[in-house]
Amino acid sequence: MRISTANTYNSTIALLQRRQQDLQQTQIQLTSGKKVANASDDPTGAARIERAMVAIGQVDANQRALEASRNSMNLAESAIGDASEILQQVRETLVASGNASYGDSERRSLAAKIEGLRDQLLGIANRPDGSGGYVFSGQGASQPPFLDEATGVRFNGVPGTVLTGNLDDFALTVDGRLTWEQARSGNGAFVTIPLPNAITGQKATSWIDSGRVTDPQALTGNDYTIQIDGTTGLSQATITNVTTGTVVATVFPFQPGKTINFDGMAVTISGTVTDGDRFEIKASTADLNVFDVLDQIVGELRTPNRSAIEIQQSNVIAIRDLDQSFGNLQEVRSLVGERLNLLDGTETRLSGLKLYNQTERSAAEDLDMTEAISRFQIQQTGYDAALRSYAAVQRLSLFQYLNF
Amino acid sequence: MGASLLLSLGARAMNASQSAINTVGHNIANANTPGYSRQTVVLKTATPQFTGGGFQGKGVQVDTINRSYNQFLTREANGSRATAAADQSLLTNLQRLEKVLPPGETGLGQGMSQFLNAMVDVASRPNDPSARQVVLARAKEMSSRFSSAGAQLQDLQQGVVSELKANVVVVNQLAKQIAVLNGDIARLSGSDSSPNDLLDQRDQLVAELSKYVGVTTIPASDGSMGVFIGGGQLLVLGVQAQALAIESDPYDSQRAQVSLLESGGGTRALDSSSLSGGAIAGLVAFQNKDLQDARNYIGQLATAITMRVNEQQGLGLDLGTPPGLGVAMLAVGDPRVLPAATNARDVAGNYLSGVVLTRVDPAFLQASSYVLKADPATVGNYLLVRESDGLVRSVADGDVVDGFRIDFNPAAPGPFDSYRLEPVATAAAAMKRVLDQTQGIAAASPISAITNVANAGTASVDTLYAVDATTFSAANFPADIVFGAANPDGSVNYTLTTQTGIFNSVWRAGQPIGNETGVAQGFALNLIGVPRPGDSLLLNPTAFPAQNNGNVKAFLALQSEAFVGQRDLGAGVIAAGSTLNDAYAAAMGDIGARVQGTQFLARASEQVAADAETARSGESGVNLDEEAARLLQYQQAYQASAKMLQVAQTVFDELLNSVR
Repeated sequence: MRISTANTYNSTIALLQRRQQDLQQTQIQLTSGKKVANASDDPTGAARIERAMVAIGQVDANQRALEASRNSMNLAESAIGDASEILQQVRETLVASGNASYGDSERRSLAAKIEGLRDQLLGIANRPDGSGGYVFSGQGASQPPFLDEATGVRFNGVPGTVLTGNLDDFALTVDGRLTWEQARSGNGAFVTIPLPNAITGQKATSWIDSGRVTDPQALTGNDYTIQIDGTTGLSQATITNVTTGTVVATVFPFQPGKTINFDGMAVTISGTVTDGDRFEIKASTADLNVFDVLDQIVGELRTPNRSAIEIQQSNVIAIRDLDQSFGNLQEVRSLVGERLNLLDGTETRLSGLKLYNQTERSAAEDLDMTEAISRFQIQQTGYDAALRSYAAVQRLSLFQYLNF
Repeated sequence: MGASLLLSLGARAMNASQSAINTVGHNIANANTPGYSRQTVVLKTATPQFTGGGFQGKGVQVDTINRSYNQFLTREANGSRATAAADQSLLTNLQRLEKVLPPGETGLGQGMSQFLNAMVDVASRPNDPSARQVVLARAKEMSSRFSSAGAQLQDLQQGVVSELKANVVVVNQLAKQIAVLNGDIARLSGSDSSPNDLLDQRDQLVAELSKYVGVTTIPASDGSMGVFIGGGQLLVLGVQAQALAIESDPYDSQRAQVSLLESGGGTRALDSSSLSGGAIAGLVAFQNKDLQDARNYIGQLATAITMRVNEQQGLGLDLGTPPGLGVAMLAVGDPRVLPAATNARDVAGNYLSGVVLTRVDPAFLQASSYVLKADPATVGNYLLVRESDGLVRSVADGDVVDGFRIDFNPAAPGPFDSYRLEPVATAAAAMKRVLDQTQGIAAASPISAITNVANAGTASVDTLYAVDATTFSAANFPADIVFGAANPDGSVNYTLTTQTGIFNSVWRAGQPIGNETGVAQGFALNLIGVPRPGDSLLLNPTAFPAQNNGNVKAFLALQSEAFVGQRDLGAGVIAAGSTLNDAYAAAMGDIGARVQGTQFLARASEQVAADAETARSGESGVNLDEEAARLLQYQQAYQASAKMLQVAQTVFDELLNSVR
């Protein structure tokens, strides 16, 4: 085949240029470390990169939400810890107030102490979360959420929890109503309440304890009254189910200090019973407000001229309610602790997810250096050989060998 | 006569060798001239003279000078050059287009996901102005990414038009030169020999022309050459050259189409599919297909996110005093209706008919343009052609198709009117953020749910927000939801009691409550956990919007909702769409794959063109080594001829000496 001299030059130059382009392409890849700069370098790879980046962005945002939640939950945890300590102090003070040698003035000063503790507790319930909100604001509340109104302290908001996060739900607030206002009344199953004497209309001369559950299966949830008839030694206790209107049990002879057992419940009436003493038993409800309990305690401690029986009865009730509130607070505390635990677990999972997506992105995008360097070497050698052979061939011309 | 014959033989031989040497010289001189065909001297013996002793040879004479030319190889080279030029111009433009849709940090996908991710911080601190400010900043950044992509596409369109215009100028110039050469060649072709160099020049012009537009050539008997383009449209005939022109597309004045200027004035549009090669064909294909697709892709995305974000804004409560429904956060360009320039007009020049496009549902908008025209079969019916896949549907005034509504205003199109409808194509270029106040972000849901303390089940509220402005009404609340018995398949019956009605429906895990068929109260409540019979939820108007982040959850849900480009397949079947980011990845991947494919094509067609050129120039081109050898050959012949003269002189001298 004939060869046109001009065409050999042109095509050789074109080939050299292509080799140079390939060399440059590899060089750019080596410099940037990326094999996908444009979608056309690897269309599926580019889509993979895009998806991995979306996932990484979501994980990062979720991580920020997690931090916000962790911050709030840590604050809530410490707030509930502080509150527990205060309730502990109240309880100690209350137990001390039962000292028989104390008079009204000592009890008044103890009441002042409890009142101070109550105000501290209110401060804790209204603790800010450091970013313009309140720890116990539920799904939204007034600012602050707990207002000291004439009728007592009330949670002025929507119960529930604000959740954040785009991949998970992280709690940002703690339900203020649940924490401070929804302890179960009584002993958690039923409430014992002293009623005025049926005959004299005076306060009872005996007191009732907060009771125990002896058989959870037998609990009815109905309301009962216990009425003592007759005097000490010959008295009879009649237990009536008010809800159904039937007498469920009579105890004769009734002895103070002995446990009365009926419908899965056991209560003890102590002291000196008077004819007509009455007590009421109601089902427990989740509406015990810790501030109401404290207000009640303070109010009773300040009431002068109470009999020992009255003091005894009110202490029993106060300690019972305080313990319920305390227990409720501990329940919320464990809930918050559980959330913190969950956050730690979620964080580990998120970092795993992020790592996975980073690996995915890197696999699609990053250059295999070993492969690229060896490719570069091959291309370099090829280009070198092309240049050398071109130079060698182009020197050959018949004109150099002829003498005209 | 002996010696004088030798003298004349020698002289002729010297002349012939001289001519051959000159031709070799011409070849060597033009070794690098584009399109030059090497020439050879054709020698023949002169007519012999009869003498008594037979025919006496009278030496050599130059018959003609030929050029080495192969018509087939030349045509092949021109054709493959045209294909390579088309592929190359398509590739160059596609590579520019690809830069508009980059992957990674600088892409539109990243802009959208950063915007939606910034919402998480508003969810974490609903009343924090700085978190809201970040959302606004991200919204602005996303919008400007879209609008700059839209502007780049606009630039590409303008670039295509000006490149087409420049190419057409060159084509017209070349056509004229070919016509002129045709005249020269016809005039000089009268003799037996052909004007080789002029023929080379003309072939070279045709080769040049092939780079811009694919041509076919037909030689005429007078030596002139007819040049045809685009499936038989005459460009050059004899000494007459037609001219090409760039005109506006009949629908869209920004787009260009190639036309032929008729000799009697007026133009005739060339069908773009008949342009079979050359840079012009590549440009037209790019403009009509790839550029349109890219505009529709990003327009669809911009419109989808804008409409959904604005819609959700309008369903939530902002931070105003008092809190109100949110206002629009983003804005995009309006849908475009492009009447054909040929549509009927009144005396004042205004169109008689008109079409109004209104976007209705962002989820169903497709990345496509449409053509609307009268149905030739039924008067008063109209056909809508979706250009992306060619689907033809029959439509009437007020119909909603693919997420937009068509209204005829002021009058329905006539039987010969047609319209191009672009619901999304120009949306992205005008995208901007229109919300400036941080309080304006509607983060709060208008209603919030309170679970009953006495609930025995594990159900708690995951998200609750309004989803449908037409059915949602805050006046329906407070409302409550009471769960009933569980069904064997795990679903749970529930009763929703609002201020205006009681609805019985069924809850299934993972399905929102509140907007299903039969309830349709315009809100979506997602539960975590499972309710027990008797469990209840209270839905109240949100009392403290500043601390509520319910509506932000709706924005966050946009990220994973596969709503872009849903298709209504009829009979209640809806083909799923894709998420915003997947839609972007798909668009980017599509353009990327086109670049990749065109790269392979361009490389292959370039190789084919190079091979064809090598074959052609192997036949026609100059090889310097060959010319060197020929030079030596003819030089020696010349020297030998000169020796003949010397011998003739010696013979003559001998003769003279013998008679002295």
